[in-house]
Amino acid sequence: MTIFHLIVFLPLLGAIVAGLFGRAIGDRAAMAATCVPMVIAAVLSWVGFYLIVHGGPVLVPLFTWIDSGSFEVSWALKVDQLTAVMLVVVNTVSAVVHVYSIGYMAEDPHKPRFFAYLSLFTFAMLMLVTSDNFVQLYFGWEGVGLCSYLLIGFWYERPSANAAAIKAFVVNRVGDFGFALGIMGIFLVFGSVSFDTVFQAAPTQVGKTIHFLGYDFDVLTTLCLLLFLGAMGKSAQLGLHTWLPDAMEGPTPVSALIHAATMVTAGVFMVARCSPLFEYAPTALAVVGVVGASTAIFAATVGLVQNDIKRVIAYSTCSQLGYMFFAAGMSAYPAAIFHLFTHAFFKALLFLGAGSVIHAMHHEQDMRNMGGLAKHIKITYVLMWIGSLALAGLPFFSGYFSKDMILEAAFGAHSTVGGYAFVLGMLAAVLTAFYSWRLLFMTFHGPRHEAHGHDAHGHDAHHEPHESPQVMLIPLYVLALGALFAGVVFAPMMIGEHMHEFWGKSILILENHTAMEAAHHVPLWVKLLPIGAGLLGIFVAFQMYIRKPGSGAALAKVNPGLYQFLLHKWYFDELYDLIFVRPAKWLGYKLWKEGDGRVIDGMGPDNIALRVAQLAKRAAGLQSGYLFHYAFAMLAGVAILVTYYFTTMMGH
Amino acid sequence: MIVQAIAFYLFAAVTVGSAFLVITAKNPVHSVLFLILAFFNAAALFVLMGAEFIAMILVIVYVGAVAVLFLFVVMMLDINFVELRQGFQQYLPFGLLIGAILLVELILILAGSIAAPDALAPAASPAPSLDQVTNTHALGAVLYTKYIYLFQGAGLVLLVAMIGAIVLTHRKREGVKKQDSFAQFARRREEAVELKKVEPGQGIQ
Amino acid sequence: MFVAKDLAPLVPELFVAVSAMVLLLYGVFAKGNPTRTVVWASVLVLVVALVLVWQVPAGRQAVLSGMFVTDSFTAVMKSLVLIGSAVSLVLSVGFIRQEEMERFEFPVLLLLATVGMMMMVSANDLISLYVGLELQSLALYVVAAFRRDSERSTEAGLKYFVLGALSSGMLLYGASLIYGFAGSTNFTDLAKLFAGGHGHVSVGLVVGIVFLAAGLAFKVSAVPFHMWTPDVYEGAPTAVTAFFASAPKVAAMALFVRAIISPFGALVAEWQQIIILLAGASMLLGAFAAIWQKNIKRLMAYSSIGHVGFALVGLAAGTSEGVRGVVVYMAVYLAMTLGTFACILAMRQKNGLVEGIDDLAGLARTQPGMAFALAVFMFSLAGVPPLAGFFGKFYVFMAAINAKLYVLSVIGVLSSVVGAFYYLRIVKIMYFDAPGEPFLHPMPRELGVVAAVASLFTLLFVVFPMPILNGAAMAAKALFP
Repeated sequence: MTIFHLIVFLPLLGAIVAGLFGRAIGDRAAMAATCVPMVIAAVLSWVGFYLIVHGGPVLVPLFTWIDSGSFEVSWALKVDQLTAVMLVVVNTVSAVVHVYSIGYMAEDPHKPRFFAYLSLFTFAMLMLVTSDNFVQLYFGWEGVGLCSYLLIGFWYERPSANAAAIKAFVVNRVGDFGFALGIMGIFLVFGSVSFDTVFQAAPTQVGKTIHFLGYDFDVLTTLCLLLFLGAMGKSAQLGLHTWLPDAMEGPTPVSALIHAATMVTAGVFMVARCSPLFEYAPTALAVVGVVGASTAIFAATVGLVQNDIKRVIAYSTCSQLGYMFFAAGMSAYPAAIFHLFTHAFFKALLFLGAGSVIHAMHHEQDMRNMGGLAKHIKITYVLMWIGSLALAGLPFFSGYFSKDMILEAAFGAHSTVGGYAFVLGMLAAVLTAFYSWRLLFMTFHGPRHEAHGHDAHGHDAHHEPHESPQVMLIPLYVLALGALFAGVVFAPMMIGEHMHEFWGKSILILENHTAMEAAHHVPLWVKLLPIGAGLLGIFVAFQMYIRKPGSGAALAKVNPGLYQFLLHKWYFDELYDLIFVRPAKWLGYKLWKEGDGRVIDGMGPDNIALRVAQLAKRAAGLQSGYLFHYAFAMLAGVAILVTYYFTTMMGH
Repeated sequence: MIVQAIAFYLFAAVTVGSAFLVITAKNPVHSVLFLILAFFNAAALFVLMGAEFIAMILVIVYVGAVAVLFLFVVMMLDINFVELRQGFQQYLPFGLLIGAILLVELILILAGSIAAPDALAPAASPAPSLDQVTNTHALGAVLYTKYIYLFQGAGLVLLVAMIGAIVLTHRKREGVKKQDSFAQFARRREEAVELKKVEPGQGIQ
Repeated sequence: MFVAKDLAPLVPELFVAVSAMVLLLYGVFAKGNPTRTVVWASVLVLVVALVLVWQVPAGRQAVLSGMFVTDSFTAVMKSLVLIGSAVSLVLSVGFIRQEEMERFEFPVLLLLATVGMMMMVSANDLISLYVGLELQSLALYVVAAFRRDSERSTEAGLKYFVLGALSSGMLLYGASLIYGFAGSTNFTDLAKLFAGGHGHVSVGLVVGIVFLAAGLAFKVSAVPFHMWTPDVYEGAPTAVTAFFASAPKVAAMALFVRAIISPFGALVAEWQQIIILLAGASMLLGAFAAIWQKNIKRLMAYSSIGHVGFALVGLAAGTSEGVRGVVVYMAVYLAMTLGTFACILAMRQKNGLVEGIDDLAGLARTQPGMAFALAVFMFSLAGVPPLAGFFGKFYVFMAAINAKLYVLSVIGVLSSVVGAFYYLRIVKIMYFDAPGEPFLHPMPRELGVVAAVASLFTLLFVVFPMPILNGAAMAAKALFP
């Protein structure tokens, strides 16, 4: 029994208690049964972080899971520095979200179920980050996917929530299919699914090819691309991103936990974990970089014109995940994980702050119906400012350290992909600052826009927005601390000079991949440019929404094509609908009616089913109920068996 | 020697014949009587083999108890076996066919064993030779030692049979007087007998 | 001659037998209705016996003139038997009270039947095999007819008794042929006789094995010796049916495996065909005949016939791997069956228990928990991965394929496809049909606990399979020294 057992299994315990006995023990006990273990686990994971940083990685074997021939998989907790960082992120944010939910979900009738899902999700996420082999990783991967599905569709009475849950599940299936293929491929190539074995053997596979369908594929590139396909689905990268904004149908704490801080970063974690594979597959790394940079800019542009407060933050998440991926694509894994670390705090802060706004507005999410809230909910206002400053990467806020590092690494990579990423990343930084302040200004400043006839809450139609209770604010303070200081405290350890001692063997960077080193020696203008970009974005937002309110709408009128293009998220959903959904439906309909109904059913199942039914009637008809029939059947049976033997034995 | 052979064939033939009559006799009482005859002949066969203990058990238990019990049941229930045997004709051909096949095969097997007498070699007698000890002695010597496990197991089987019989048939009926030996023993003269002085010509009130 | 140390391996059996007699005496002399006390005491006895089973001297011990054997196979199978008996007793608590069967002889008979099953599992001689079998069977005949005022129950008991007697006759005939042609009834001696392929294998011996297998096939209800099963399952009181479907099945299968593998392991070629025929016919009949059933108990009867067929596939392989498959299969089957019967026993409406499959309509809306548990069992019985039932089938088919029994494997896969139809029909009825009259709510606590534990086992087998797989492998190894 180690501290890591507790860290991983306390959330499971809470989930079991609240899930199975929630109705019996009541709401309050169910909340206590999940929140208390979660907070303990969060505190312990900081202790664990300290232990790992000073004591080196540990491997905690649990038990053998599958042992079939050469395929052996054990449950074990592999806790190295990378995992320790993830444990801190997951458990801290999860604990904060648990406590916050006590206030946010106060009026929900299904509290035990909600908290059980939350804790179960946390457990699955912990399984994912502590896995020591690909199968366990996949287990956690699917576990978080399942919990995400359950939580997005938590308000299952809403059709839109159900649709969003299904969309998230289906889109993730595409990625997971690639991921599963990748894992199978790894077993095929390396004969093992254990991280240590596979990573040790990775250099031996460099340059080898796999022959498939008449083409030769580079083994490591293929494997890495398949794995990255899984990461793209889970982390909502360009192409497979469409589920993330829709996932905002779930309760806001869920968005903060799953769709900002933890699950969506699993892809980044996985790429960092598999750095010993990716490092030997430069093509795959380039793909990671390009996809990441493209996502960063794409999501930032879409974020400019969204009106739903949560969707703005969702696109912002998507964009920031893009940053992490292109950092990974430059081999700057420490920068990627460090951004993951700081981003978890300030993005969760933004989400929970938005939740506080929504709570204050009685579940109103459209920013056009807000405005002038600053004087009503001062604390939330200040906290949102802190979060936005960190997101925009203004100096001394945590986002500044991580985002700058990523951009510098992109510059320092001195490659085409690096240049592409640097330019797009810088543009995205401007846009990020712009939409963050657009959100702040639309929500908190200007005149109050009353919502008319909008009252989903069931309360009296008009009353003043109110500040959230302490149980919701205290978690925000914790996150604000992270948003303020996580960068300045941990930057020297994780991305500074002590970087190599800190990460140890958990991340592999080849000697000739120098982006991380070069990042420390870039010209001064490269270091200053991100700050300028942030300030520029804020300035433009100030101009458009405070100095000349309405100029945004005017701009949209002048450029209707561009506005519509952005408002419809580059028409991705429409495109997918046209290319995949409708043909699939058409094909499915045809296959169902014509292919299955007429051809196959007519000849196969229906025909067979008819025969089966007839046979079944006969078989059941044997059972006459008469004793002598039964006895007779037994004697006949024995006679047949004896005769069979007699004839065969006599034969030889 | 020849006397023994003649006796064996006689008893064996009567056994098989009466067994056949058990299942073909129209009157169920006759069936039971033929069954008793079969038991007697089987006992005689045991005697011929020197197994007089089992022969006596067969007579005492099967003839004395079981068959007589059968007789009682058959007489009391008055089952119409003719009715039960309806449809017999219908199934007879199949039954005969299967019976005949099995019979032929079993005969062939026995013939095969004669052809290969060494097959019996590993058979070992657990009991001492009969000319040294009596039947009963030999049985007793193994029954409570070598076969104690089976003996106790059989005891359990009988216990289950007894419990089962009671469970399935015993009913507590209201208004039935039963002997209560404890009450009988506990009863004293004063409770049971009352002395009355009877005046002549008046009777007891 | 025996001495006290010979009794050490026998302690669990002695304990259960003596406890049964003590409880019998207690029941006779106790005031009021002692049934509840006796039932829970019996459960306790079985649990203690479960502990004792693992306390007997380790390794292979053949005592009492080699008639009684203990090894890891007996330990594992006896554990399954004891769990099956104990859980069936727990399931019967509410039933016997509500159905006016509350008589203390019921648990006592179940205890004695359990002793018989343990003797069967440990049998190392044709005679001890027979004694154990009869002890178990006799108790089962009685409990089948336990509701003596119900025509269905008495008919079930009588049918089972008469056909059981016939099967015992066949078994004894086979045993005497084996004794006559091999000269011994002891499994160890027989194994020595045939070891290494020498020793004369006569037709008579093989025919003896055929008769023996026929008698055993009756007890596991393999086709064509299955005819009693649907009638008895339907007619017997439901709690008794639950018992029939669990512990005796496991014990009879254990006996079947032991009586075929232990003495005749070297003669695989001679007996493999019988088992293949039994297994194939059972799988097919179990799949087809269940389709039109309207009574859920009758459906479970056909289901059990089918499952016995699947388990026999493992035996047909005749390898250690195959026996491991059988043990895994029986463990999984036990959990699924007990869970299913816990749900069936909870099908109680205002006017009493119902048994129609249609009565389950819309259960998902009225009792989502029970519907979910039952759905889990149905999916598992159908063999849908990743539930436990899938792994049961997986291991026996793996063994069969490794033993080159391709045709049998194909038949097995086909019949499990057909069988899936009627299992999934139940799920469909529960989840998509309009609700009828709801069952009394909530389900009794002991039934709920059994259903919950069994469904957790079924669901989580994929995560923690090693204890069962290792136990089964250990058990199988004991039969292949």
